[in-house]
Amino acid sequence: MENRNRENLRELFEKFFDAEQAESCVEDIQKAEQIFREHPAPEPDDMLIANIKAEIAMRLQAARAHRFRRIIYEVVGAAAAILIVATVSLQLFQKDAPQNIDFIQASLIPTEIWISNDIAADDEDLVVFTAQIEQIEDEVMALQSGEDTGNGDSTIAELEMELIEINSDFWKG
Amino acid sequence: MAKSNDLARIITGCKDGDAKCFSQIVDMYASRCYGYFYRLTGNNDISDELLSELFVKLVEKIGSYKGGSFESWLFKVASNIFHDHLRSKQRRKKLIEVQITEFESGTIEPKQSDGELTDKLQIQLGRMDEDTRELIMLRFYSQLSFKEIAQKRSEPIGTTLAKTHRALKKLRQLMEG
Repeated sequence: MENRNRENLRELFEKFFDAEQAESCVEDIQKAEQIFREHPAPEPDDMLIANIKAEIAMRLQAARAHRFRRIIYEVVGAAAAILIVATVSLQLFQKDAPQNIDFIQASLIPTEIWISNDIAADDEDLVVFTAQIEQIEDEVMALQSGEDTGNGDSTIAELEMELIEINSDFWKG
Repeated sequence: MAKSNDLARIITGCKDGDAKCFSQIVDMYASRCYGYFYRLTGNNDISDELLSELFVKLVEKIGSYKGGSFESWLFKVASNIFHDHLRSKQRRKKLIEVQITEFESGTIEPKQSDGELTDKLQIQLGRMDEDTRELIMLRFYSQLSFKEIAQKRSEPIGTTLAKTHRALKKLRQLMEG
């Protein structure tokens, strides 16, 4: 404890007191400090020191483990971040690339008719119309050949009307 | 210089987390720090606790030591620990006061076997107010200069000098009286 203060006490006190007072102050302080040297405080128990060292070793180990865990977390975090960035980049890159466009074919005509080999047989409406047309054709033929006994002009007119109506219905669908 | 280099090497080891270096620091300073706490509290158990806390804190804070006087830095930490203790544990503070009162009234036998003189010093220190007692302890046990003590206490150096002089003179009178 002899060299615990590297400052010059006398010089320090002389900044605030005159030389005589400074001398007296330094003397008072030195004598009081001598009392402390003559009356040492109790020493810490050996067991306490051992416990403190053990506690320090334990804390250091825990700190090391914590540091290791943190490094692992950082590495895992960085890897995850890289993965996410790579995935997002890949998706963006794919978006930028030209894509195959699927054209949707739309038509008023049913697909069955386009792919059919026998349209008249596959389309029910067409079958009905075809039958009606055939019937009308038969009737016209009968009229022309004079088989019909009724009023010929009005019958023809009715037939024509019927034909126009059927034709109109057909294109309406 | 060799001692200073050794200390620097030990501190570097501590910063690297070397348990042996911390053990060396404990061996070097435990006695003085214990004396500091004991003279402030007058209680062995509290001094044990504060000393443990100081060295555990040292493990956490060694990274913040950026050079200069290690002793000064250590005793600043010790002083902060003592003040935290006073602030956060009012019950213990009361216990210290009771202990001091008991010492003063002589109702209990001193726990230490250091002899009558040591106890007498503790009793006389107990008669001083807390602030003065800590000022004396910092002066005696730490390596803090008056300038550093003044900075720590946020007061002009002249005030610190005058207070220390007055306190030590009073202590001397009490011990001689």
